[in-house]
Amino acid sequence: MGTQEFQPPIVQFAPLDKLLALGRANSLWPMTFGIACCAIEMMATGASRFDLARFGAEVFRPSPRHCDVMIVCGTISKKMVPAIKTLYDQMPEPKWVIAMGNCAISGGPFVFDGQYGIVEGADQLFPVDVFIPGCPPRPEALIEGIIELEQKITGFRRWPVVEVE
Amino acid sequence: MDKQATLDLLYVAAFFLGGLGFAAGPVIIALLLAPRTTRNTAGKSGQLIECGMEPIGDAWIRFGIVYYLYALMFVAFAVDILFLFPVALIYRKTAEAAMNIGDMRAFIEILLFVGILSLIIIYAWKKGVFKWERKNFNRQ
Repeated sequence: MGTQEFQPPIVQFAPLDKLLALGRANSLWPMTFGIACCAIEMMATGASRFDLARFGAEVFRPSPRHCDVMIVCGTISKKMVPAIKTLYDQMPEPKWVIAMGNCAISGGPFVFDGQYGIVEGADQLFPVDVFIPGCPPRPEALIEGIIELEQKITGFRRWPVVEVE
Repeated sequence: MDKQATLDLLYVAAFFLGGLGFAAGPVIIALLLAPRTTRNTAGKSGQLIECGMEPIGDAWIRFGIVYYLYALMFVAFAVDILFLFPVALIYRKTAEAAMNIGDMRAFIEILLFVGILSLIIIYAWKKGVFKWERKNFNRQ
């Protein structure tokens, strides 16, 4: 039913695309969409201490039609799958998905033989652009994930790489 | 048509086209530059409800007729107020200059006008507009 093919715009210019990519990368609009405990870290990232606004990605929109990025933050229960799929469908192109936390990557601690309740990874539902490991990841990790996504969109990294001491 | 008039017309036309371009331009640019479809997993890109849930029923349903009567009452009194504005202007003038109509007469005229319009309330009251209940027009 679904398709991963989409019709590109009628008019395309390479320099314009580069410019648009720059704009998109530095004003990512994530969706206000928390499905489990990683969402608490996502809220912390948006709040004043970690201040996602420094990287232009603080405009959490409640409507999928406004959004660029879906941050799948948490365990995807099978009950939730139709809603997540609908939200993904409703996001207009261009759109990106960040899988945040071990549950969204692979099911995390809930994977065992005979489990019936959860989806083992967001990539079972739709393509994922950035994976952020952690249980839950720290806000800095989410910020790093968003910077990675910016790098994926524009092709270069605008922010310095933090060295681990 | 002399030169000045033609020039003025040209200015008007230029501003008109400018305004039109300002309004229609963004729509056309978005049509040309935006991707025409979006990737999807369940074919629900066109679903109206945006919270991920399945919509229950249709938005095109029948609403209670009670609200329509209420709106009619509002219109009646809005028109009432609308007519009072010119009256208020004239009334002040007559009071100042005491031209044709005397102060008392103008006052009584307004009173009559508002009084007759206020009968709307009694009429509606009698018709049962203020009783907020579902009207049934099912034939027996």
